[in-house]
Amino acid sequence: MNVVAGIGWIDRSEYGCVRRRLRNSYPDVKSLRSALKDEAVFSYPVKGFGKYDRASQMTCCAVALAFYDAGMPYSEDRKQDVGILGTNADGCLRSNIDFFNDFVKNGRTLGRANLFVYTLPSIPVAEAAIYFKCQGPLLYVGYSRDVIASLLRQSDRMILRGETTAMVAVRASEEEAQCFILRRRDDVSSEPVLALEEVIEAASRSTSPGEMIEEFARL
Amino acid sequence: MVAEDLVSPYGWGVRACWEGLLSGGTAIRPFERFSMKALRTGNAAYVAGLDPDRDESLVMQLVRPLIEANASAIPADALLMLATTNGEIDILERAVLNGTPDADGSRPECLTQKVQRLCGLDEPGIVVCAACASSSAAVAQGAAMIRDGDRDCVLVVACDNVSEFVASGFSSLMALDKDMAHPFDRDRRGLSLGEAAAFVMLMSDGRASREDRPVLARVSGWGLTSDANHITGPSRDGSGLALAVERALRSAKASADEVGSICAHGTGTEYNDSMEMKAFKSVFEGNPLPTYSLKGGIGHTMGTAGLADIIVAIETLKEKVVPPTVNLREVDEEAAGWASPRPAAWDGGITVSTNSGFGGINCAVVLSRGR
Repeated sequence: MNVVAGIGWIDRSEYGCVRRRLRNSYPDVKSLRSALKDEAVFSYPVKGFGKYDRASQMTCCAVALAFYDAGMPYSEDRKQDVGILGTNADGCLRSNIDFFNDFVKNGRTLGRANLFVYTLPSIPVAEAAIYFKCQGPLLYVGYSRDVIASLLRQSDRMILRGETTAMVAVRASEEEAQCFILRRRDDVSSEPVLALEEVIEAASRSTSPGEMIEEFARL
Repeated sequence: MVAEDLVSPYGWGVRACWEGLLSGGTAIRPFERFSMKALRTGNAAYVAGLDPDRDESLVMQLVRPLIEANASAIPADALLMLATTNGEIDILERAVLNGTPDADGSRPECLTQKVQRLCGLDEPGIVVCAACASSSAAVAQGAAMIRDGDRDCVLVVACDNVSEFVASGFSSLMALDKDMAHPFDRDRRGLSLGEAAAFVMLMSDGRASREDRPVLARVSGWGLTSDANHITGPSRDGSGLALAVERALRSAKASADEVGSICAHGTGTEYNDSMEMKAFKSVFEGNPLPTYSLKGGIGHTMGTAGLADIIVAIETLKEKVVPPTVNLREVDEEAAGWASPRPAAWDGGITVSTNSGFGGINCAVVLSRGR
């Protein structure tokens, strides 16, 4: 059986962790990164954070909050058998537009490699996998309905099948993100954890990400 | 796998691709759909007859005939898994060039809805993106759903086209060979872009028997990993891919010595091909297996690469021969005894197909002979 060991979330003005009942406001993404660094949510500096596209920045911060919430350590010196599954509604539309706009403005002669890199929907989770040293399965899946439930169920299945030992499941756009750490019950110490089905039900009852966070807080 | 089809730069159909590869001739040639003068190369592998001025995206021009030709084989209750890296990127290109707000239409969800309607499926599908391992990852996840009993029929559709968007991007990364890709060659200099679309239909044993479907091959196992190392370059020691192959073999309950051939990603870049050979030597303990890449023939078809590889690997199981690595002139020392510019006979029942992509993604799929 798998459980939800931690949930991190970010909306347009606040960020938080569900189990630790952390909730703070932030004015912009740069400040968010600084705040997470000051609160020791990030275990070590995020190299190249300023070059990430916005979705990758949000993903990285949300994953850090979820790891922090789960009390799950990570190290830049040691890869861990953790998979990461990402989703959102738009793929990488904003980054695609930014790259091609820039290429056109340059007279259609030279694209910028550091913009092109972010023109794949899987790149935000790849950046997170690199920073958090997650060596398990890595992919982006775009679901047409029941997004959080589908994301969590697919992550759950991947652990149950033995594809990996734990999963990071993250929905991230440029404005908001929710991230869940799924682990095998036996791998988590006796501290309270959230039942997967309860989290799925809470997500299903919600009509907005903000409402979903409130539902999680009541679990 | 009970049904499949492919359009590649060699032409329409699996046979055209298979025979093109066996001929040893490449489909990489001067590209004409848009100007590549400012880019590192003017060559790409493309499907003749696509028209950018038509009121239909280029990938839909690839997918529509494939699906229409196979419509009767596709049941309405199949789950669609659409694998692509950039999908209808020409919609976004036009919107940016014309200054219109239509770029939203290039979102992968819009393409999924079109393919769902085209296939006549009951429910909306899902999009899978794992960079250049997208379609092999989709096959892996589709097969997993069937093994788990969640589904008994999954339709994996893959598509990507050569676009100014992608060509300028790969050119900026200095990843393109100025001439054409030479996978596993001592003098390889980079990849060539290609375009293709393909589908495979996965079905549970029980349903395939009930419906008397031909079993082309079996997806016996899969493994997905991340290098967790670098956003564009693979892990130099091949450890991430080796782990994916080991996991795929474990999932297939097969041992390394049961594998008879490898369809490699083989992009033609210095680091990818070297990394792959290190991975294969690690897993197969240095015992050379017939290993080939499609990319000297059809270029790097991005989101379709994995599915094209799998479809060709199925042919090798049927035909008992592995195709040559097209454009391979002088085999790199690391690939000596593995890759060859000539076809090779083999008679094994198990083959492995591998893909790797940006972000450090690796995917290995184990295929075994059907009935």
